Amino acid sequence: MANWTKLSRQALTEVMSIDTWLPETMPEYAQGFMYMLGSLTASSFVALIISGVILAANGPASWSYNGADRFAAAVHFWSVQAFFFFMMLHLWRVFFTGAWRGGRRETWVLGALALLIAIPTAFTGFLINGDFYSQWNAVQAKDGLNALGLAWINLPNAGQMMGMHLVVLPLTLSAIIFGHIVRVRIKGVVPPYPLKQPPHTAERS
Amino acid sequence: MAARPTQDVVTDYRYVPEDFMKHLMGTLGIVTILVLVLSALFGVPEKPPLTIQKYATQNPVTFEQVSLRALDGQGSIANYGPPYNNGTGNVESILQKWTGIIHPVNAAQDFILKPLTMAATLNPSIKPALTQFESASPALQTLWEQNYTKALDHARVVNGQVVVPKGVYGPVASLMNATLRLGKSGLMSGALIRNPNVVNRFDNQNYLLFLQGQPLQTAAAPLQLGGTQWGIIHSAIPGYPAAWWMTIPTWIYQWPFVANSSASDAIALSIGFLFWLALAFTPWIPGWNQVPRYLGLYKLVWKDYYRTHRTRKNQGDHTRGIS
Repeated sequence: MANWTKLSRQALTEVMSIDTWLPETMPEYAQGFMYMLGSLTASSFVALIISGVILAANGPASWSYNGADRFAAAVHFWSVQAFFFFMMLHLWRVFFTGAWRGGRRETWVLGALALLIAIPTAFTGFLINGDFYSQWNAVQAKDGLNALGLAWINLPNAGQMMGMHLVVLPLTLSAIIFGHIVRVRIKGVVPPYPLKQPPHTAERS
Repeated sequence: MAARPTQDVVTDYRYVPEDFMKHLMGTLGIVTILVLVLSALFGVPEKPPLTIQKYATQNPVTFEQVSLRALDGQGSIANYGPPYNNGTGNVESILQKWTGIIHPVNAAQDFILKPLTMAATLNPSIKPALTQFESASPALQTLWEQNYTKALDHARVVNGQVVVPKGVYGPVASLMNATLRLGKSGLMSGALIRNPNVVNRFDNQNYLLFLQGQPLQTAAAPLQLGGTQWGIIHSAIPGYPAAWWMTIPTWIYQWPFVANSSASDAIALSIGFLFWLALAFTPWIPGWNQVPRYLGLYKLVWKDYYRTHRTRKNQGDHTRGIS
């Protein structure tokens, strides 16, 4: 049987390499605003984590009577707007540049998974807020989960939603985003399409 | 999956110096300033919730109608089905039936009779009506409930009390007026979310479910929050963004065959998931995975690369990069 430690060392050598995380060069085609969108999405996630930790530390309803926490809630709200805004722009960029080419299919799937998991992560945040939007969407959306046999996820139960929003979903999302970024860094960003060379006639390089 | 050489990426490109840390700090700085400025300017959209107390105070007659439907089993939760009870009113799929009753709700008991039993310790005048109702036959209970349901259509509000024409209501009129008083007192929410086994109150399910029918529907409609009004992508405070990233599933809800189906939620979410699968498996879907190549927008993204590459090629410089 293979040596698990050796296999782990081999796998982690590249993942944990300083060259992977802090490169000093970039491909010449990966320049400009279009190549900031992924980092802007990740930065919005950092802002979400920081403002979320502040809110979590002070309790779920403190925004309703504490001005500073209300501001933290506002930062959290606008951070999630920024997160999805930049994520959508990033999605358009990677789609229109066929970013799955050149052995980058897993990177693409991890990005799509991040979008999928980000939706309930944000939604459960709305649910634990306790305002009218929260109240309304808890009772409206529960029918969909009940219908799909997922009633154990009990949207009107704010305690369960808090666990989902503070631990289960952000941990899952963080792991997926980490995997996505690892793949991006190790595989590099996708090179351009060859011009005037349809795939079936292009020469292998 | 092992990386393999592919034919649809260029390989002749250079690596240029990049201060990656500055890039990361730059994007973090942009986002930080952006969200701080937006928060300072616009704050956070919070519409106050619809409380039971507020609803009872402002809509005494409909509050009694909602309460009566919980008592007689006609309400949306009373007759919902799994995961709450054995009702049939909101069963959309076999999966829902298989789930079983994992969050049991007996609307008559949990929403009305148990809260009134607690209220009766503060106001003993409720007790005889409760005893009379609970010791009556189901047929007699139904008769009283049906009579009072009709009477509420002709109810008036006098000094905050619901007054109905004389009729055979047994103790139901007293019970409903007592429920209204409990609702107006602000104590009903506490009675709904009791759990004698623990002292914290994390599970507010029954508070939300009590109001989920007419009260919340009536409050949500003018705000364009209903399912057929593209609800979730609208903020409860007009002018603010909401969950606009749910546009595709919300759009699916508007499709007539989905909107008119008794299983609209199950169908909309399932179709939405198919959309996601199509996105996630883009690299493997023939034709679809060639769309960006044929659209040609990539030429704009990489126009500098193509221009400098052409220039270099004309000058005979063939720099080969590592892809």
